[in-house]
Amino acid sequence: MEIVTVREDVWGREVLLGVSWDWLWVILALTFAAIVVHLLIMAVLRKQPRPSAAGKRLTRHDNFDRSFHWIMAISTLVLLFTGVLPIIGYDFNWLTIHWIAGLVLTGAVLLHVIRAVFFQDFGSMVVAPKDLKEPFEKGRKPGKYSLAQKGMHHAMTLLVLVVIGTGLVLFLQIDTPWWDRPNSLAESTLGWMFVLHGVSTLGLVGLTALHVYFALRPEKRFYTRSMISGWISEDEFSANHDPARWMPDETARS
Amino acid sequence: MAAHDVMPDIELFQPITVEDASAIAARLDGAGWILAGGQDTYGWLKDRAKHPGAMIDLAAIEGINGINATASGISIGAMTTLRDVMRDPLIAEKFPILTQAAGRVASPQIRNQGTLGGNVAQDTRCWYYRRGLSCYRAGGNICYADSPEGMNREHALFGASRCVAVSPSDTATALVAVDATMVIHREGREKRVPAEQFFIGPAINITHMTVLRPGDILTHVEIPNTWANTESYFEKVADRDVWDFALVSIAAVMKTSGGVIDDARIVCGAVECVPRRLRSVEQALSGKPRNEQTADAVAGLASGGARTLNHNQFKVPLMENLVRRALRT
Repeated sequence: MEIVTVREDVWGREVLLGVSWDWLWVILALTFAAIVVHLLIMAVLRKQPRPSAAGKRLTRHDNFDRSFHWIMAISTLVLLFTGVLPIIGYDFNWLTIHWIAGLVLTGAVLLHVIRAVFFQDFGSMVVAPKDLKEPFEKGRKPGKYSLAQKGMHHAMTLLVLVVIGTGLVLFLQIDTPWWDRPNSLAESTLGWMFVLHGVSTLGLVGLTALHVYFALRPEKRFYTRSMISGWISEDEFSANHDPARWMPDETARS
Repeated sequence: MAAHDVMPDIELFQPITVEDASAIAARLDGAGWILAGGQDTYGWLKDRAKHPGAMIDLAAIEGINGINATASGISIGAMTTLRDVMRDPLIAEKFPILTQAAGRVASPQIRNQGTLGGNVAQDTRCWYYRRGLSCYRAGGNICYADSPEGMNREHALFGASRCVAVSPSDTATALVAVDATMVIHREGREKRVPAEQFFIGPAINITHMTVLRPGDILTHVEIPNTWANTESYFEKVADRDVWDFALVSIAAVMKTSGGVIDDARIVCGAVECVPRRLRSVEQALSGKPRNEQTADAVAGLASGGARTLNHNQFKVPLMENLVRRALRT
C-alpha cells in the first residue's frame, strides 16, 4: 500500500497527488481495534465506584468555552464528513459546505487561541514534568486536565492547525463569493498541500472517533456533561482532581 | 510522449445478457471497461491515456438494441446505433429534435458504429484531460484548461467547480429537452434516472460525467409522450459541419396554443459539464407568443451567470443567438 499517490504525466514526470486514501480504512481499523482493546481492559478491571453527581455543583467550563467547543466539534465533523464521504463514493455537492465549515472552524480556533492565551489559565493545558508521573502513581490526581486530556488536546491542536493551514491555501485556489479561482499554485505545491491536508484528515478521523468513544465512556461521561451544562459535582471533583492544582473559581447553581 | 504502437493486451468479455455483463463488471470491481460502440473508448486506448485491463463488450446482448413504441412513449435500447436513431420514422415523427441531434453527431461512419448509450455516457473532450494529464478530472489537483495559459475556447461558461470541461454529447441535450428517462441496470435491479439528473457536474463528482458507476449498465432510454409532436428546434454550432463537437448547441421543445407558448424546455449543450436547462428563459416564455420580439426579449436571460474563461467569451453571444433562433417561428 502506497503512502501517497503519485502519477506519471504524459511526459513521464512524477506528479504528487495526495495521500493514499487506502489509509482511511487502516486508520478506521486501528481506531476500532484500539477501542475494542480498551473495552476489554476496562471489562477486566474491577469497576470503581463512581462519584455522585449530586450535591454542590462546581463550574468546569463556562458558556463561552462550551460554545467554542461545540462550534469546533460540529464544524470538524462537517469537515470530516464532507471531505471523506465523496472519497468513499457518496456523491453530493460537498465543496461549498466544506469550505464554509472550514472558515467556521478557523474562526473558532482563532478566537479560542486568543482567549486561551490572553484571557485564561494557559498553563492549565501545558504538560508539566509532574504530569508525566500521573499514569504511574496511583492516587496522583491532575489539575483541571489530566495528562490524557492534555495529550488529546495537543494532538488535536496539531492536526487541526495543519488541516486549517493547508485548507486555507487550497481555499484560495477555488471560486468563492469574494474571488475567482486563480488556479495559480504550482502542481507540486498543490500536491504537498493535499498530502498534508489528507494526513491531518486521517489523523483527525482516528482522534475524533477516540474522542467520541471516551466522551461516551460511563466513567468519563461527567466530563461530557460538563461540556454540555458546564458543571461537575463536588464529589466528581474531589474524586478526579487535585484541589491544590485546580480549584474551580466559581460555584455553579445547584 | 505516448508511443502509438500496437494495441495493449486487454481481456475481452462478450456477455449475452445484461445480468452477465453486470456480474462480470462486479467481479472485475471497476477494472472492467464497458464497451458499447467504442467511439469514445478507442480514442483513449489509442492515446494510451487509459489502460483498462478488461473490456466488457455489450454488442452481443439482446434486448438493449432497437427502438420500440410503448404505451407511454418510445423506448430506445442503449446499444441502438445513432444511425438507427437518426433514421427511425417513429422518432422522427414524435421527437424530431432527437433525430436532428443524432444526425449531427460526428460523421456517418461514427454514427454507423456509435450508440445512443455511448453518446450520452461518453467522457468529456477537454484535450488536457484526454491527453492523459493528471488534472482534477483524472484524479489530480489542477485544471490545466483554467490556468492563465490554458487553451479553453471549448470549455465551460457555467457550473465550473475546479474543472471547466463540458459535456460533449449532442443527443444528451435533446434527451434532457424531451424529459427522457435513463434506465440503468445496477446490482441486479433496474434504476430509472431522469436524463436531467443522469448527467453530473464536477461539484458532485469531478471524475465522472454521469451517475453511472463501475458495474452499472445503461440499458434503455425512455422518452415519454409528454413532449411528443410539440414544436421543437435543434441546432449545433461547431467549427466543422461534420466530425466535430459542439461549441454550443441548443435543443428546445415548446407546447403552444394559437401561437402562444404554454410551456417550454430549452437546453444548451457544451456550455457546462451537464446539458444546461435554461430555466429563466423557459419561465419568461410562458404565455408569450413565439416570435422575433419574444426571442429578443428573453435571449439575454440565457447567459445570465456565465463566467467566461480566457478564450470562450464568444460562447455568450452564441448562446443568446441560438436562443433567438430557437424561438423564431
